[in-house]
Amino acid sequence: MATDNLTPTQPPSVAAQSATLEYRPRAGRYDEAYTDTGEVRPHWQYVLNALDQLGPAGLESRQRKAQRILRDDGANYNPTGGEQQSREWGLDPVPLLIGSEDWSHVEAGLSERAELFDLILRDLYGPRELIKSRTLPPELVLGHSGFLRACSGLGAPNEQQLILHAVDMVRGPDGQIQVVADRTQAPSGAGYALENRMVMSRILPSLIRDSQVHRLALFFQALRRKLNSLSPNGGSPRVVILTPGAYSETYFEHTYLANYLGYSLVQGGDLTVRDGYLWMKSLDGLHRVDVVLRRVDDTWCDPVELRGDSHLGVPGLLEVVRAGHVAIANPLGSGVLENPALLKFMPQISEFFLGRQLSLASTQTWWLGDPEDRHFALDNLDKLVFKGTQRRPGQHSIFGAELSESQRKSLLKELMRNPAGWVAQSANLPSTVPVWQSTDLTPRPTVIRGFAVADEGSYTVMSGALTRVAGEGSQVVVSNQLGATSKDTWVLASEPQRFTTLRDQQTAPLTGEQSSDLPSRVVENLFWMGRYSERAESSTRLLRTVFMQLNSINSLPDSVRQQLLQSVTEVTGTRPGFFAPPAKEGLDPEPELISVILDANRYGSVCSNLNAMLNCTEEAREMLSGDTHRVLSDLRDTIRELPQQLQPGSLSAPEEALDPVITSLLALSGLSQESMIRGFGWRFLEMGRRLERTLQSTLLLRSLLVPVLDDDQEQQMLEAALMCGEVLVTYRRRYRSQPEMRNALILLLLDRSNPRSLQYQLSQLTQHLYELQGGDSTSLLSPERRKLLEARTLLQLSDADQLAEQDSDGQRVALDIMLGQLFILLTETSNLIAGHYFEHQRNPQRLVNTSWSDDE
Amino acid sequence: MIYRIRHITRYAYDNPVSQCYNKAHLLPRNTPSQRCLDSRISIAPQANWLQEHTDYFGNRYCYFMLNEPHRSLEIDITSRIEVTPMQPENALDLGCSVEDARERLALAADEATLDAHEFLLDSAMIRASAPLREYAEPSFAPQRSLLSATRDLTRRIFEDFTYDPEFSTIATPLKDVLKHKRGVCQDFAHLAIGCLRSLGFPARYVSGYLETLPPPGQEKLVGADASHAWFAVYSPGDGWFEFDPTNDNMPAGQHIVTAWGRDYADVTPLQGVIFDGGGEQTLEVSVDVARV
Repeated sequence: MATDNLTPTQPPSVAAQSATLEYRPRAGRYDEAYTDTGEVRPHWQYVLNALDQLGPAGLESRQRKAQRILRDDGANYNPTGGEQQSREWGLDPVPLLIGSEDWSHVEAGLSERAELFDLILRDLYGPRELIKSRTLPPELVLGHSGFLRACSGLGAPNEQQLILHAVDMVRGPDGQIQVVADRTQAPSGAGYALENRMVMSRILPSLIRDSQVHRLALFFQALRRKLNSLSPNGGSPRVVILTPGAYSETYFEHTYLANYLGYSLVQGGDLTVRDGYLWMKSLDGLHRVDVVLRRVDDTWCDPVELRGDSHLGVPGLLEVVRAGHVAIANPLGSGVLENPALLKFMPQISEFFLGRQLSLASTQTWWLGDPEDRHFALDNLDKLVFKGTQRRPGQHSIFGAELSESQRKSLLKELMRNPAGWVAQSANLPSTVPVWQSTDLTPRPTVIRGFAVADEGSYTVMSGALTRVAGEGSQVVVSNQLGATSKDTWVLASEPQRFTTLRDQQTAPLTGEQSSDLPSRVVENLFWMGRYSERAESSTRLLRTVFMQLNSINSLPDSVRQQLLQSVTEVTGTRPGFFAPPAKEGLDPEPELISVILDANRYGSVCSNLNAMLNCTEEAREMLSGDTHRVLSDLRDTIRELPQQLQPGSLSAPEEALDPVITSLLALSGLSQESMIRGFGWRFLEMGRRLERTLQSTLLLRSLLVPVLDDDQEQQMLEAALMCGEVLVTYRRRYRSQPEMRNALILLLLDRSNPRSLQYQLSQLTQHLYELQGGDSTSLLSPERRKLLEARTLLQLSDADQLAEQDSDGQRVALDIMLGQLFILLTETSNLIAGHYFEHQRNPQRLVNTSWSDDE
Repeated sequence: MIYRIRHITRYAYDNPVSQCYNKAHLLPRNTPSQRCLDSRISIAPQANWLQEHTDYFGNRYCYFMLNEPHRSLEIDITSRIEVTPMQPENALDLGCSVEDARERLALAADEATLDAHEFLLDSAMIRASAPLREYAEPSFAPQRSLLSATRDLTRRIFEDFTYDPEFSTIATPLKDVLKHKRGVCQDFAHLAIGCLRSLGFPARYVSGYLETLPPPGQEKLVGADASHAWFAVYSPGDGWFEFDPTNDNMPAGQHIVTAWGRDYADVTPLQGVIFDGGGEQTLEVSVDVARV
């Protein structure tokens, strides 16, 4: 192969090592893997050789496998926070390698930096010596929106306050690693780093084993040890992870960490403040929360004292902290540290607190609140990067050199209007690293996020990091740009690593799912997941049946056709649909049927039910197994492809396009039967399913079987009903005759051995409520159990002969009345269950509206 | 002089409120010229949690939670405060000049001046602006003492602006107040603070009460008093001085301070969050300031 393509100055000896993979570092940039003279850096030798042996095809297949695992894990990153916008997390199969000597310098620097940031935090909300000593200008702190006066004096002054610290670093052209930014409120990325490692150890298991890579587990052990130790209340602490919700940027990571660390994942609405303590709402009442690892930014955490319009926080939280009844990591108010202007002052701060030089340098930074810095920055606009001192969503760094004339003017205007709100940084080009790109390796700029966690008076640094690389052709790294991806970061050890997992630390084994571990919101979402998936399934079955009947070789009599179509409208609840007046016979029903499938904005359509179900699964994500995530991913793909499959003139028949939907839904229900712990979550999922199946069946049977038709036509209706109920074959085998009403009703309604009969649903429901509420015969039945008993009795007392009877108006009145009553009773049962177990509190509102526009 | 102040706030809700969380800045703080002798707070229905704290600015506040459903809420606070009467107008021509004040602020040689920086910066409800600076500038000749210049600004606001409770709400932006030249005591205090900060001088918002005297020969009505607001300016080396633009004077013994901050948002009398409720809610406030 063209080995001399590696770099122009490639000496032959090194070229020989790269037999198959081509790589050409950019001129004038520091490259992580190769020296200026084109030699492989020693610590990369082993890995590059191994990758070389894999060759392009091998790497490409590893890359595919990585993406498949990530997809199955549901690893997403949702940069826009929209509902269906999330992007799959990208992982490059080539790791970033960091040598042990290089790392020991970084590690010491990160630990020192975390210690300094902790000291700054405690000082700013306490004695403010940094300001009094003129180390920091007052405006820099007091004018920063992250400085929350409501949070002053909250923590014990002599204890570590900063629990987690994340630092973005790049390696400059001189080969030195330097800090570009700090994250101190709710640092993200540690979970993604862990996921990256898990995936890498599956796609390159022997390489990772033989490379003596430092393990990440120690960091997470320290994190858990620290979080548990923060509890102010004694006893076995309850730690929760507070997430903004299923559509937040890094929700995957929240669920991932919750599962890995064994903590409950909660949203603001799952928590409540009472009597000065923080509680989690679960099915069996309130459980005290001792420690919160938050992923919600400072100002959103408590609408009483911080942002009044926030629904992500918990009213009263700050007062609980003040009372010393809960610990929050990181503490509220730590956003004041996310001020890039601090980078300029770090050397002085280090001298002030530690009396020594800062060991890990920051990118050179100018604060425009300082007149000299301002002049310099304005004179050198083209060479600098500009950043606001307060981090705002959607606001990115501005590269002076890339601005148009008008952009330049508006930046200048903004800089002059509010100079203290801006910093400039030197636009150092970050080092590049080889990234696999379908056929070869290409150099891309990279930024490394390192993590430190407070641990027994000092800080433990993760022996690894989250490495992000820029999109194609980009000079700098922006996390959410197109084509940007991530890498596992291998910190190489000088000796083999001992194997450790988090489980070493677990004090007591978990005893299965307990209701107190689950916020009631999660259980409610599982209940609705069951209901929506059943609803989607039964309407899909009906639509499939209707398509089959419509497309059968024998044309349908108009009355049958009309009744089938109207049953679609009835069962999906999409009136007027086929009840609309111009129901001209012979009119093509297909557009309306397709709309009932595809139109996600139409309430009752198959897609709207599937989306509603998928939303529920997002809310209950941490409860679902890996296999379930895979099925859900497949279902999403199926939904995406449905419009094309159902296009008029597409080769396949519409009924076939619906098969994968039903298969996925069956796989889901199979998984819940076979892979879910029989805890509260499972029980409510099942109850949702059973309730919905009963409701759907009553609607279906009523619209298909109540109106009386000719014998022949009735055959067809019965066949449709049996087909929807998945028992046509059973019927034929059992009765060996054409379907007749009485026997069909027995099979569909009363047969205890048919898992789709009404009788079966009701006895399952009864069993679930019994398990849930206990069988004490002396106590009164709960209202929902009484309602259910009424429904069961009604069904059991019904007589198939009587139900099959027709009256003079061509209706089966007895059947109609019985199904109608069942529908009402089951709807009431469902409402009673929801009222009993789920909370329906409205969003909090401000007592006095003092909201004030920030942009006035 | 000792005052007894009773401040009652009553909420009534159409539908029961299930939970409520409140932070109340209603307990008078101590200042160089006043001392709070005692305060009594009673909340009905009884609060599940009630704590008194001191905030960032040294103000007292109490935090209370109600976790049982309620249709009404009454907060009844009575305090006794001893106020030392003063003749602040005598100090007007003393103290540093506008020019000097600027220099000394930039230097910030002493801790008090450094601390005053807090009140120089924009805050939630007040932003420095060119129109505010232009309005204030005529009062601030470089050689004039900062205090006498501020007194002049206070007088001009009193003369140029109309007291109009119909015009503004808590959320009326300062630029509208300036444009229409109308507002209430909060607006005038915010306006003066905005003017001073736009010129580069630290100014803070003061909330409290004002003793009102009935017209001659009439008896004073119970509950007729109200919360009041004014402002203070920092003169380097001299300290903080209070001015009342609504009444064109300087507090001299009839003003009782509750709290101060950068603006109203820092010292909102009652700030809270309720759950449920819904429908109409009514609010009644009654304040009595009486000499003991």
